[in-house]
Amino acid sequence: MKIPIARLLPACFFLTLPVTAFSAEISVDSTSLIRFEQRDVTGSSKQNLVPATQFLGLDADKLVDGNLSLHFYGWGRYDLADKSFTNDVSDGNLTYGYLQYRFNFANADIRAGRFFVHEGIVNEQVDGVSLRSDLPFGFGVSAFGGATVHTSKLPGENSDGKGDGLFGGRASYRYKHMFELGLSGVYEGTAPTLANFTNGTHRLLGGDIWLSPYKMVEFMGHTSYNPVTKGVAEHSYLLNLKPLPGLTLSGEFNEQRFGNYFNSAAFFTKMPVFNPADQSRSTGAVASYVIAKTAEVSADYKHYSRDTGAADRFGADLKLTLLNNMLRSGLGYHYLRADQGFAILGTSSASYHELRLYALYDTKTYVASFDVIDYIFKSKINNEKSAWEASASLGYHIMPDLTASADASYGRNPDYKDDLKGLLRLTYNPTFKSKGEK
Amino acid sequence: MRSFQSLFPVLVVAGFFMALSACARMKAIPNLPASHPEALTAGQQVSCAECHEDQQKGTLKSFDAFSHTPAFVKNHRFYASSDDRLCSTCHKSSFCNDCHTNQVEMKPSIKFGNRPDREMPHRGNFMTLHKIEGKLDPASCYRCHGRANNERCITCHR
Repeated sequence: MKIPIARLLPACFFLTLPVTAFSAEISVDSTSLIRFEQRDVTGSSKQNLVPATQFLGLDADKLVDGNLSLHFYGWGRYDLADKSFTNDVSDGNLTYGYLQYRFNFANADIRAGRFFVHEGIVNEQVDGVSLRSDLPFGFGVSAFGGATVHTSKLPGENSDGKGDGLFGGRASYRYKHMFELGLSGVYEGTAPTLANFTNGTHRLLGGDIWLSPYKMVEFMGHTSYNPVTKGVAEHSYLLNLKPLPGLTLSGEFNEQRFGNYFNSAAFFTKMPVFNPADQSRSTGAVASYVIAKTAEVSADYKHYSRDTGAADRFGADLKLTLLNNMLRSGLGYHYLRADQGFAILGTSSASYHELRLYALYDTKTYVASFDVIDYIFKSKINNEKSAWEASASLGYHIMPDLTASADASYGRNPDYKDDLKGLLRLTYNPTFKSKGEK
Repeated sequence: MRSFQSLFPVLVVAGFFMALSACARMKAIPNLPASHPEALTAGQQVSCAECHEDQQKGTLKSFDAFSHTPAFVKNHRFYASSDDRLCSTCHKSSFCNDCHTNQVEMKPSIKFGNRPDREMPHRGNFMTLHKIEGKLDPASCYRCHGRANNERCITCHR
């Protein structure tokens, strides 16, 4: 596909908006936010920040013959006082905007516009076209192509380091309820040459597996290979065991080889800790148990290793859902024991404790919540022993789908002696009833 | 070579009938529903197995695998990479994009400060913590901030 044509696809999306007037089902969800923040940084003048942000989503289903639908989501911001970020008083982004035609069989669909692709090892955002379908005998296929969605230019560069076009897809095979094998890949156009960053072209191939020989056993994961650097980029695998109802035991293994995995992320290659010959590896286990739908307990452990050193994280969480889902609460504790190599410059240890307690009470009339998080460092950072934040929110359900709420948070941490923030929020979300738990 | 030439029309005809047969079979492959037929409660961990136990059809995976246990929520990326069509029967794409996107305006935990029950990355003062976590497991940063959504990272890491 010619890239300029692909670029027009999201624009064409807006031309179809009048069609939505004839659709059978339209749903809009909206979140309006006004944040309040005051910054007083040594050496700079005091700033009052009042950014107003609008998130807007639209879904028009059952268009034309009932199989066509249109989906849009994006946000825009305008600074009502001092500039909140960069030199612009306003900013915005089209997260996605696409038309989808869903066939009546084989889970087949075609999408055109701006959308995300998650297929096997592929995670991309595209201005283009995608199609996918199940095939007879357990096979499946998907393909996409179009223009790369660019992000901010890198400092001192005229590019974000990505190539201009990409295509890819996945072929899979499923056997009954027992296993699925997939082969996927992405091929991006040659990356631009950068003056200040090391950059590589984004191309990956990989395989993924899901295996469940018995209902209580589930094994899944993927391995990706970088044909540009000619080496394995990542292994990531998970094993779930469900020996009893409500009990899940999980084990995971992850390994990323930096030179192959980060090759096309120009921004990452500039990190001071980046070494192409290095690799990171993590192995972990989680045990979780759901007790009569009202309580969930989980305990987890993870071991990390790099050339820099090793670390271990362990802890536990408890979640409660009481009063017919009106009261949701949780608490957790974790400890990270990390080698000196992971410590922040000028400190003697990277280890810290993490504590969290939250509760939310939601009635048909009002909703109230609080959340307290405290990170206690083994070694002081900027002469601070901890970084803590307490936040509270109070809201009123004006209508079942329309809620006004206000948040306030206060904290103290190595970066800010006082961190006080406020926020006003108006949420309209009529989609709780069927699709879109948010 | 000559025998291949004589076989070629036969292969074409056979291929045509196989494709036709495959197309006919395609129409027999059932669709997942476009949306979940019953209302689901917001904020409650869903147990798919409550209604769907042993009802998987064709090549569908066991619905129990998709029950939103704490382990599932922590590892949902494995499921989304091959079954996002099943995810989309209950979740709109924007639900995923609250965290996974190309450009965010604010931390998801600020946008949803009224929903402490939802799993959100970078709660609390992550500004300090990222100096440790970034070195510990850079791949976990890369998944969201590697090739997109790094506008704010670039302001310091330049």
